Amino acid sequence: MQDQLLRVSGLSAGTEDKPILQDVDLTVGAGQTHVLMGPNGAGKSTLGHVVMGDPTYIVSAGSIVFDGKDITEDSADKRSLAGIFLSYQAPVEVPGVPLYSYLRTITQKRPELKMTARKFRSRVGDIADQLDMNSSFLTRELNVGFSGGEKKKIEMLQLLLLQPKLAILDETDSGLDVDALSVVSRGIEAYRQDCDGALLIITHNTRILERLSVDRTHVMVQGRMVAEGPASLIDEIDAHGFEQFEHTGGEQQ
Amino acid sequence: MMPEHTIALERVNTPPAQTWNYLRANDISLMVPSRSRKGDVYFALPRLFGGVECGMGPQVTTWIESQSTDAQYVEVPAGQIRTEPIVASMDTGVMVRAGATATIVVCQDTKDAISQESAPLTSASLVRIIAERNAHVRVFEFVTATDVNQHVESVGIVAGKDAHIEVRQFFLGTQTSAAGLVCALDGNRSRLDLTCRYLARDTDTLDINHVVRQRGRLTRSEVHESGVLDGKAKKSLRATIDLIHGSSGSEGTELETVLMLSDDVTNKTMPVILCDEDDVAGNHGASIGTVAPEQIQYLRDRGLTHEEAEQLYVRALFDEALICAPNSAARDAVLRRATEVLGATVANDLIEGLGLSSLEEG
Repeated sequence: MQDQLLRVSGLSAGTEDKPILQDVDLTVGAGQTHVLMGPNGAGKSTLGHVVMGDPTYIVSAGSIVFDGKDITEDSADKRSLAGIFLSYQAPVEVPGVPLYSYLRTITQKRPELKMTARKFRSRVGDIADQLDMNSSFLTRELNVGFSGGEKKKIEMLQLLLLQPKLAILDETDSGLDVDALSVVSRGIEAYRQDCDGALLIITHNTRILERLSVDRTHVMVQGRMVAEGPASLIDEIDAHGFEQFEHTGGEQQ
Repeated sequence: MMPEHTIALERVNTPPAQTWNYLRANDISLMVPSRSRKGDVYFALPRLFGGVECGMGPQVTTWIESQSTDAQYVEVPAGQIRTEPIVASMDTGVMVRAGATATIVVCQDTKDAISQESAPLTSASLVRIIAERNAHVRVFEFVTATDVNQHVESVGIVAGKDAHIEVRQFFLGTQTSAAGLVCALDGNRSRLDLTCRYLARDTDTLDINHVVRQRGRLTRSEVHESGVLDGKAKKSLRATIDLIHGSSGSEGTELETVLMLSDDVTNKTMPVILCDEDDVAGNHGASIGTVAPEQIQYLRDRGLTHEEAEQLYVRALFDEALICAPNSAARDAVLRRATEVLGATVANDLIEGLGLSSLEEG
């Protein structure tokens, strides 16, 4: 296997009153594309948020190692600067903060991405063109009043700007029309080509995977990883659904 | 006992309808240098401007007129699109004739700040604007200076039929700032879009009074105030939409967002919708508090600490002010204040990002 970029071992986590993830193992190699599938409520998004360091969830057991460092106790901002990016299923609206100010601030936090403001504007403009975005977006408040598709494009814009080592895409394709889905797919493809970053794609929709070469597929049911296999597992799930795995998940409980 | 050379502007900046006095939200009282003889040689504006209602009230109008050695009168001829901004002095009257377009910049000028022994060093602006039918007027106000103790700014606007008034206010500095604006939408289908952004920190006091008099039929007003309070700052905002008898079909909206970064700030908001007409709509909304946890988390997920996430809101105020600044004086004033608040590196980055030169480069 290639260098292990992310290694989740025996991870159990949940909210204060409800355990969600149970003894989860997951390894993603540098530059690899992994897909995480599972029925609604399986805990897929929770895993994404726990890896990102969302304090809503409490880790009760296990560890998360990223790029050779144990980050289980690290805050979300430290994980982000270490190279993890979580694309939100429903990006949060932040009134009072124009997109430009926000993008400039998060970029300047990363020494490897420091550039003059002029170059930065040019870089953002190039990415916006790539994603069919109007640059007038930059003066609008972050995610405020944007359609679902536009919000996802802004997530892709940040992905391409920040060039993380690992991008976790939490149902980035949900609620998108065909055109928006095509733009987002192009963004993911560009991330793979330009940054050679690793991807963990949480999805129900195989269309977003059409242009990608998937290395591994994972199936999560009721907070447990119940199956792992090659890309062909996606077709199997597409044809037969999750029923076969739900039985396994139930047995393991 | 009142110190020599000082007078009190008692209970100014009042709204048309007031609340209980014990709430101490109805007005502000200011100690200012006493009336000057400068006004004796005062070149008065055309008589018409005497009837323009100004936001801080007649007491402040009289006081500023007494301090001003001259009044500036500018007339934009009918149909002219004036690209060069009109820079307001301490006392300014602007007549924008029918179908004309004008931009007016009210940038706090501390060179003319009024100084007398024992009286607080005070800067002041009095601006009266008459926009005739179909006129389009943009007003930009910047209060940024910290080298005076207090600033008073009183603006009055009268809009004729189909006139469109846009106002962008930025209150970003000065220990005590009091600003009032009245916009009378007298003409049918006249419109006001007012955006007010503010930052009050340390022990700053900020007192704002916005009044929209909607007299004409089918008039529209959109008043959006938002800002950041930090330290032990005190802010009072009075916003009144007055739907006067005869303004049928009119609509007014007032929205306020306040972000409080400290437990020690004092925030008072007094939104009022007065209505003396049946077929009208008045809307008000307010969001007051700290940054929502989900917003903080989103920003932390992108690499910002909690404190950096909060400061992002402050930077955003300066970014917007710089984008709006229509002339170099306003831009430099904002940049100077940005340097004080955010540091030189961030301030220069702000201006470089806009493709403009920094202060050092002139």
